[in-house]
Amino acid sequence: MIRQSWWKILAVVILVYTILAGMLIPLKPGIAEVTPRALQAGTEVELTVTGYNSYYSKAKNELRAWLKMEGDIFLKAARIEVLNDRKMKLHFNLPEYLPSTSKDDVCSLILDSPIDGAISLPEGIALTQDSVNLRLGKQLWAKDKVDYYSEGPKLTFPYRSVLYESIRNQYFHVPLWFAMIFLFMFSVSFSVRYLRKYDPDADQRTLALNRAGFVFGLLGTVTGAIWAKYTWGAFWSWDVKQNMTAVALLIYSAYFILRGAFQDEEKKARLSAVYNIFAFAALIPLLFVIPRMTDSLHPGNGGNPAFGGEDLDNTMRMVFYPAGIGWTLLGFWVAAVAYRVEKLQQRLLDA
Amino acid sequence: MNFFAQIGILLRKELVLELRMGYAISGILLYVLSTVFIVYAAFFQGVNSPMLWVTLFWIIMLFASVNAIVKSFVQENGARQLYYYGLLDPLAVIVSKMIYNISLLFFLSLLTWAAMAFIVGNKVEEFSAFLLALFLGSAGFSILFTFVAAISSKADNNSTLLAILSFPLVIPILMTLIKLSVVATGMLEDTGIGKDIGILVAIDLVLAGLTLVLYPFLWRD
Repeated sequence: MIRQSWWKILAVVILVYTILAGMLIPLKPGIAEVTPRALQAGTEVELTVTGYNSYYSKAKNELRAWLKMEGDIFLKAARIEVLNDRKMKLHFNLPEYLPSTSKDDVCSLILDSPIDGAISLPEGIALTQDSVNLRLGKQLWAKDKVDYYSEGPKLTFPYRSVLYESIRNQYFHVPLWFAMIFLFMFSVSFSVRYLRKYDPDADQRTLALNRAGFVFGLLGTVTGAIWAKYTWGAFWSWDVKQNMTAVALLIYSAYFILRGAFQDEEKKARLSAVYNIFAFAALIPLLFVIPRMTDSLHPGNGGNPAFGGEDLDNTMRMVFYPAGIGWTLLGFWVAAVAYRVEKLQQRLLDA
Repeated sequence: MNFFAQIGILLRKELVLELRMGYAISGILLYVLSTVFIVYAAFFQGVNSPMLWVTLFWIIMLFASVNAIVKSFVQENGARQLYYYGLLDPLAVIVSKMIYNISLLFFLSLLTWAAMAFIVGNKVEEFSAFLLALFLGSAGFSILFTFVAAISSKADNNSTLLAILSFPLVIPILMTLIKLSVVATGMLEDTGIGKDIGILVAIDLVLAGLTLVLYPFLWRD
């Protein structure tokens, strides 16, 4: 029993790990809010910074902050006033001129703390000056240098605007899709086996795998829709991948309807196997080709922050890859249970 | 008798049957005309945007195609089909039906275009691109619908089943066709038109290939 079911235990262990790690590991400290966002050259300004997951009071005296213009030109904060862990006030003495060739420009805000590490708010603050003097501006700004950046906490997930905490959905939504694709792939292979050997067992396996795959597809859609509510603002945005998903689910619903249309078991098995293969082939352009041709709201498409590449950091990989394996194993477990139910029903009918 | 000769004979048989039972083909023609007229009547302010024109065109085509193809396995009863399968290669039967349906749908789409142009107004500017879209569209529709009609003819209540089984599968073809046709109306400048054509050709080929592979499992009863 244990020897046969080791992969189910593995699935449980991996899923417990991914749920715990995926939910408990904090996000990297970030800058939630800065006010004001527009500054005038030649004035003394006070920036109120609201942090996210930050510990300003712990690092009180070692906190450093800069405004950074293009070309690695820095202006250090004259004074830093920490209110609490999440709030501090930065005082800058902005020189009369900016190291810029136009009257309006943007700069980034960089914070550095031994506890939180270096955090930047890229091009988040607008600057204006009354007259342009590039040479003088460079002279006035270039006095400050950054010697080193601190390293922040290691075990964190990236802090991304728009995504924020919802980045954790990657351990649920995406692996559910992986699991669905694997389940459908195996169901096709059993359909092929049915057509070669006319083995009723292969048909029951196909049905069980398709049922499990369909449920995983529904869960993938629902987790995606809930996530979309908080990032895109609506459960359903007529995004190309959402539409294709709906179509894929319709195709597999049609598979179940088709099975219901036949009384004769052999005919049911044969025709649904044929349709299953046909449908899977039609699914490939649906899920992989068309979404790549069109712009999508999904992360990684059309200039949206991606989960892949630099946004999938090593901590995320540590959770994401096991999650893919774990959910896929769970999918096969669900399919195995569905298969046994089908078998037992058959035995009852035959008896 | 070799494969291609069989296809030739079957094609001639389809045509003769079609013409002999004139009501089927004239029914479809009347269907197209009355749907176009309904569109004209329903959009009493006129179909001004090319996008709307193209969408309506393909929706009319979609339903006309389903109606035209659903009969391809129904009009002949099981016993006669068994006779064909005993006499001829089953693959020749499905290939001839596909070829026949492609030409039927292409003819039907030209007619729909003419009817739309006559009643609603013509919005197409690039004729060759639109003709290509029509051909690829009729090919995709007829391959898909012929195969699914072969599945659903095995069940009762098969016209509903045909719609349920084939509409989700037809959506990628339909979306690409609409995109291609909108380019043909000159509303959009699309340099990626070759990619759309490529996708349509690829989908058509994949569906045709699968039909050839899977049909031998389908016809036996």
